[in-house]
Amino acid sequence: MTFLNVILLGGMAAAAIPVLLHFFNRSRPRVVQWGAMHLLDAAFQAHTRRLKFERWLLLLVRCLIPVLLALCMARPVLTGMRALLGGAKTSLVILLDDSYSMSAGAGATSNFAQAKEAAGKLIEQAGSGSDVAVVLMGGTPRQLLEAPTLDTVRVTKALTKLEANFGAANFPEALELAANVAAQMQHGLKECIVISDFQKVSFSEGEAAARGRALQAMKRLPVPPRLTFFHVGVEARDNVAVESLDLPKLALGVNQPLQVRATVRNFGERAWPDLRVYFQADGRERGAQQIALAAGEQRQVLFTHTFDTAGFHTLEVTADADALKADNSLAAVVGVWDKLPALLVNGDPSNEPLKGETDYLDLALSPAMKSAGGSDLILTRVVLPGELTPEVIARARVVVLANVRQLTDTQVRALAEFVANGGGLLVFPGNRINTDWYQRTLRAAGLLPLPFNTLAGGLEDGKPRAKIVVQPFTHPALELFNDARNGNLADAEMKLWFQLGTRQEQNDAGLSILAQLSTADPFLVEKKNGEGRIIQCAVPCDADWGNLPVRPVFVPLMQRLVVYLASQAQPPRNVEVGRPLAAFVSRAHVGRKAHFTVPDGERHEIEITGRGALGYVEFVKTTRPGTYTLAGPDGGATPFVVSAPRGESDLRQLTEPERKALAESLNGTLLGSVADYQQMDKDRRFGREAWKPLLWAVLFLCFSELVLVQWFTRQKGGKP
Amino acid sequence: MAQVSDFLTPSELQKVANLQVVARLVVEGFFTGLHKSPHKGFSVEFAQHRQYVQGDEIRRLDWKVFAKTDRYYVREYEEETNLRATLLLDLSGSMRYAGQGGTSKADYAIRLAAALAYLMLQQRDSVGLVTFDSKIRRYIPPRSSIPHLRVLLDELQAAQPGGETALGNVFHDLVPRIQRRGLLIVLSDCFADAKELVKALAHFRHARHEILIFQILDRDELEFPFTHWTRFESLEKSDAHRMIDPAQFRAAYLDNLKKFQDELTQGCHRHHIDFVPMVTDQPYADALAQYLTRRLAKG
Repeated sequence: MTFLNVILLGGMAAAAIPVLLHFFNRSRPRVVQWGAMHLLDAAFQAHTRRLKFERWLLLLVRCLIPVLLALCMARPVLTGMRALLGGAKTSLVILLDDSYSMSAGAGATSNFAQAKEAAGKLIEQAGSGSDVAVVLMGGTPRQLLEAPTLDTVRVTKALTKLEANFGAANFPEALELAANVAAQMQHGLKECIVISDFQKVSFSEGEAAARGRALQAMKRLPVPPRLTFFHVGVEARDNVAVESLDLPKLALGVNQPLQVRATVRNFGERAWPDLRVYFQADGRERGAQQIALAAGEQRQVLFTHTFDTAGFHTLEVTADADALKADNSLAAVVGVWDKLPALLVNGDPSNEPLKGETDYLDLALSPAMKSAGGSDLILTRVVLPGELTPEVIARARVVVLANVRQLTDTQVRALAEFVANGGGLLVFPGNRINTDWYQRTLRAAGLLPLPFNTLAGGLEDGKPRAKIVVQPFTHPALELFNDARNGNLADAEMKLWFQLGTRQEQNDAGLSILAQLSTADPFLVEKKNGEGRIIQCAVPCDADWGNLPVRPVFVPLMQRLVVYLASQAQPPRNVEVGRPLAAFVSRAHVGRKAHFTVPDGERHEIEITGRGALGYVEFVKTTRPGTYTLAGPDGGATPFVVSAPRGESDLRQLTEPERKALAESLNGTLLGSVADYQQMDKDRRFGREAWKPLLWAVLFLCFSELVLVQWFTRQKGGKP
Repeated sequence: MAQVSDFLTPSELQKVANLQVVARLVVEGFFTGLHKSPHKGFSVEFAQHRQYVQGDEIRRLDWKVFAKTDRYYVREYEEETNLRATLLLDLSGSMRYAGQGGTSKADYAIRLAAALAYLMLQQRDSVGLVTFDSKIRRYIPPRSSIPHLRVLLDELQAAQPGGETALGNVFHDLVPRIQRRGLLIVLSDCFADAKELVKALAHFRHARHEILIFQILDRDELEFPFTHWTRFESLEKSDAHRMIDPAQFRAAYLDNLKKFQDELTQGCHRHHIDFVPMVTDQPYADALAQYLTRRLAKG
């Protein structure tokens, strides 16, 4: 405890006044010659103990009054051990919410502008010698600067340039990062201040467990930081967001129509009777629609476009709505293919038409080319098993094994590498396959989802037949057949088929059964291996064991399967903030540099690494939504789109009691302004003035003295 | 019209040194005050009727006899039998207490005794006097002669309070000395052990004395009005004192006083003793009225 007016403590000497008065009164008593001494003696003997106690009590109260009054006037400051911390330097970690919801509001009054201003003041207040780190909570939490610094001016400058459009706030991860950062900071007094608009979606109850884990990480530090929550900004009422873009899941060919389904949602309370939604492809507006959007309503808008060149194209759907621009548009990249090379390995060739194992399949995959010399998306090449070399494999996007008896180990290794690097493998059985080899070698290499166990059915009449069970398909390759106009899979009838694996094997977690036969045996199964996928069929792709190849549905089914497998060959081009951007390049570029250009124009140099038969490049600093461009060593540019999840578009904030409960659950303090923090920090460092409670105590004692005197006097008959 | 008795407050009479004058003033003032009282003529007793002769006072005519006989008769009275009264005057130290009124209890008691003696001798009663503190100081047997008043007043004039109180012992000692039964008038603050005192009074009653006690107290002793730290020094024992804050003891003191008074009152009532508390600021006439009431009852 310290005192602001120490000299006034001298007033405590006034405590002696009641004592002195007591002795003074006793030393100069009035003398009365008294007759009724026997009455007085009896009263004295009966009450002297109680009266002595009352007298001492009153004396104590009367002595305390001047003591407390002197203490009050000396303005004591309660500091505890804080006197030692008064000038102590601080390690200050500011968790700044830079999610795009913070840009609600306009200009200098936007929530983010207020947050930056508050952060600036807090950094300024931290004082010289304090080290400061700013952790940005939007998207993937990260530090504003690369490391904590003593250079507060540099931090403040970086803050000034900061914009709030970096995805949704991720408080638990940010808190964990803050704990790690605080652990690296040098001062014993650590402060962790969260500045946010406290959006409900970012601080929901569902994340309480994650927050608890982050808090535990913070508590494990030798000196846990003190956690303070600082609310900024006001709750915006109007917000319209392009919530999602529904793009085709399969590879798109040149001149194939692209359908983009945009979901637009009104999170606010204001209705938009004529909201203009427009579509851009490669930076040019290609279409627009007017829609009416009531409060809270969600609507879908469909745009169709055809790209006439192969490659990656950007497209964007924008709703011309409110001031919170960050979620008014949503972009995506689509890949448009000129050709998808598919390698068909014919295990049972024939000179007769449609007798070879891959004849039907070849026709089905490139019908236009075969019939009229037209152009197909899939470019097929039929080879014999012996011709299957690693070089041939590397040029394909999809390899189809059709009734191949078995392959050499070299061929298996090449196939395994091909799949691991993103290639697709489609396996059809037949009468020539060596099931033992398939089990021992191909499955062991991860290239066969299930073993070909036993044959079921029979080619003879009277044997049981099987059909494909038609049900609502969820797999991208089969979704097309949910619409009966695209063909009926149930038309096909199987005479002979392989039973794939046992029930236990079928329940493998990595395995998915795309379609089943009416006998409950799997018809198509899929498994992922590395970057690629393998689809295994229970029947051959020729017409020996059934009539599937001669049914109209065979063509779209095979095309969808091959295109699906080819589509998986490249990592996704559309990712959420924080997710890495990855691409395969030619193996020849391994060791060379590629460049990623981020939305604000900054270029990042990335080294190309080898990954199987391909070169691989990855960029992880996708903290900002927008279009990123990869420039390879050969000069080709590949766009990527990083977008923020739309949960942040719901601008509702936690209420004051909810914020308070949140702060309490994390053992923190909730404050409403920088001034509050300054006062709290001042109290922590320099203590809290205690004159008010002391004044109350003085008043209480005065009142008590009055009451006690009245009470004691009344008990004794009072003054005459 | 202002009467003499209006001025006969103890404080006024304090200024008059001569006890005889005081006694006369008190008694005459008292009777002047009683002029309109229905009790006139109570000090004599009817003896016989006598034929009216010229010169008799008209007021003494017996109109009832005139109505019956159609003759004028006057009523003749003969004097009452002499009352033997003894004044027991407490001169212990506690009687020296004089409060804010300035009249000590002893002064008050002396003047009251003088007034009673004067009154009684005027009525041809025999009056005696006993002064005492812890022991009997002086005993003057009752006489009814007028010159006896001088003896009594001289004794009273010379009386000086002091010494301790031992009412019980004194009264026990007195019983054999006052052999003829009569009226004992005690003038004291009665500050002694109440039980002992009542026992001693009962002793008197056993000797067939009538007793009238004037308990003379000061207003301070009844109200205990002290406020500041006070050293109470005993008027009877030189080394006894109490240094107290009076405000803190007031209730207890008054409580003790009440118990003491109750005990005395009940004890006196039990033994048919008239107990009259008096305060030193109270007119002496009140005491005389009490005496005369008692005298009438004795009649």
